[in-house]
Amino acid sequence: MTTAYREPEKGDPLVRLQRVVKTFHRGSEDLTVLDGLDFEIPTGSFEALMGPSGSGKSTLLNLIAGLDRPTAGKVLVAGNDLGAMNDGQLAAFRARHLGFIFQSYNLMPVLTAAENVELPLLLTRLPSAERKKRALIALRVVGLEDRVNHYPKQLSGGQEQRVAIARAIVNDPTILVADEPTGDLDRKSADAILDLLVRLNTEFKKTIVMVTHDPAAAERASVIRRMNKGVLQ
Amino acid sequence: MVPLSYSVRNLRVRATTTLATALGVGLVVFVFASVLMLGEGITRTLGRAGSADVAVVLRDGADAEMSSSIELPAAGLIMNAPQVRRRADGRPDAVAESVVVIILDKLGTEGVSNVAVRGVTDDVLAFRPSVRVIAGRAPRPGSDECLLGASIRGRFRGLELGQSFEVKKNRRLTVVGIMADGGSSFESEVWIDRNVLAAAFGRESVVSSVRVRLASSGAFEALRSSLEGDRQLAVDVKRESVWYEEQSQGTSMFIKAIGLLVAVFFSVGAMIGAMITMHAAVASRQREIGTLRALGFSKKSILASFLFESVALSLLGGALGATASLAMGLVRFSIVNFASWSEIVFEFAPTPGILAASLAFAGAMGLFGGMFPAARAARMNVLDALRG
Ligand SMILES: Nc1ncnc2c1ncn2[C@@H]1O[C@H](COP(=O)(O)OP(=O)(O)O)[C@@H](O)[C@H]1O
Ligand SMILES: [Mg+2]
Repeated sequence: MTTAYREPEKGDPLVRLQRVVKTFHRGSEDLTVLDGLDFEIPTGSFEALMGPSGSGKSTLLNLIAGLDRPTAGKVLVAGNDLGAMNDGQLAAFRARHLGFIFQSYNLMPVLTAAENVELPLLLTRLPSAERKKRALIALRVVGLEDRVNHYPKQLSGGQEQRVAIARAIVNDPTILVADEPTGDLDRKSADAILDLLVRLNTEFKKTIVMVTHDPAAAERASVIRRMNKGVLQ
Repeated sequence: MVPLSYSVRNLRVRATTTLATALGVGLVVFVFASVLMLGEGITRTLGRAGSADVAVVLRDGADAEMSSSIELPAAGLIMNAPQVRRRADGRPDAVAESVVVIILDKLGTEGVSNVAVRGVTDDVLAFRPSVRVIAGRAPRPGSDECLLGASIRGRFRGLELGQSFEVKKNRRLTVVGIMADGGSSFESEVWIDRNVLAAAFGRESVVSSVRVRLASSGAFEALRSSLEGDRQLAVDVKRESVWYEEQSQGTSMFIKAIGLLVAVFFSVGAMIGAMITMHAAVASRQREIGTLRALGFSKKSILASFLFESVALSLLGGALGATASLAMGLVRFSIVNFASWSEIVFEFAPTPGILAASLAFAGAMGLFGGMFPAARAARMNVLDALRG
């Protein structure tokens, strides 16, 4: 596999965006969502990104996560220039550095909780026994050690999201990105998820970027940034 | 790599679709395997007319008895070769025969067709113990009486017990017996006295073939090298069983070619079935594909995963079809054999090679049918896929 990443150096901000432009082409129309955005996230931060729908939060998150490339400007994550990478290099970058938490969990319905969590480790050279052990540890961290062999449809929404979080942390990523992680959950389950994210940030020193509509969720982050029409305020 | 269990379990989850698609593939594989088994069966059935301990000697380069001629003195030389078994009376266990083709009116349908006429000597039934007279009696030697093969009985004018036919203009022969030989091609012949045939067709000094029973099975190579090594004889020596198998190859290949054409034709349908199924699978799992890509799985591993799923699906069908084709082993099949112009009963003969080829064929259908859907899955934009 192509590996174009390098380890972060001391003093680097983990994420640095320089004059980032993102333009979508929809038919003959051009829609510039981000127009010269400058933005940094220091290592160890837990940032909440708020703002009205359509303001470009997900677009920004996708750029940081290496799911998309900027139209212009630089996106540097852990020292990697994501705009300069090809699809294969971006995939390797994501496998090594990213942990994803989606609004609708995105578990594989045909795989058990443990198998879902193990997925990212299949991209490493770890032997099977070690992969299984680590998946179990991750499930223990999210408090689901008693649901290891359950399939997603046998779990509640909150439990599914906890499995997804276990999957996001199992490969010890450099940064966790979460797009509306509590958007589909009731208050109680949402709070449990937020407790977990806070714990991952404080106890496991994970850098987290979370997009959310929910002010109560944003409150739990260490930094709240507001976005409006592609501009951070 | 995306785990194989992911593909297999997805097949299991949509069991009905999987089974329907697999049955389509299975049907094609069934046809494919059955045809190969029939071809194999034809080869074996025709080969049955020959025995392994008998050698056939023909004129060098002749591929059928009809086109072969051996001078009588040469025939005597061949029959007295040391590798030939001796009968109790000390004479060689061998026959020299002439074969010609005559044209007779067909019964039941318009037109004429060929009938093979074999001029035999009076020891023919002793030489071929598997041939039995099932009706009437054996002809008297040197007479105008003849023995008729059971499978052409009643299919030509005059070819019936007690009736007569013209072997040559103004040369009338009477059928006094019917013979059977376990469905071998001898059942499609008329056997008459060799001297009668020789006189009627002006073949007094030659025969078509010499058959000798070997003193031992291992004597064949020695016989062949000594006879084929004799330039003046100019003959080919073959084991009778091998020779019949070779003769059956034309018919067998024809059946196989037609059958494989049909199988390939239908396989297009099965491949389209697999393609539709896999397209639906890719469409309904877009978000899962997007998620796998986001986690860092490469386009190639997505491609491989869906190709594997398609091949596994087809192999399931292939296994069903191949298993069903084994049941054809119980079926007997009757067709016209182009080498002897008569109907012969064949069986379907399965071999490990045929089963392996059937599975490979199924796998290939899965590979080609799954190619486009898998490529579509692999090429999907990650973000579009994640949006489902
Ligand atoms: N792939 C795309 N093609 C075209 N337009 C897009 C695409 N992705 C996002 N947009 C547009 O960009 C704008 C910002 O979208 P997004 O970043 O998803 O907003 P948010 O997450 O803040 O609600 C919206 O107007 C959206 O319609
Ligand atoms: Mg959004």
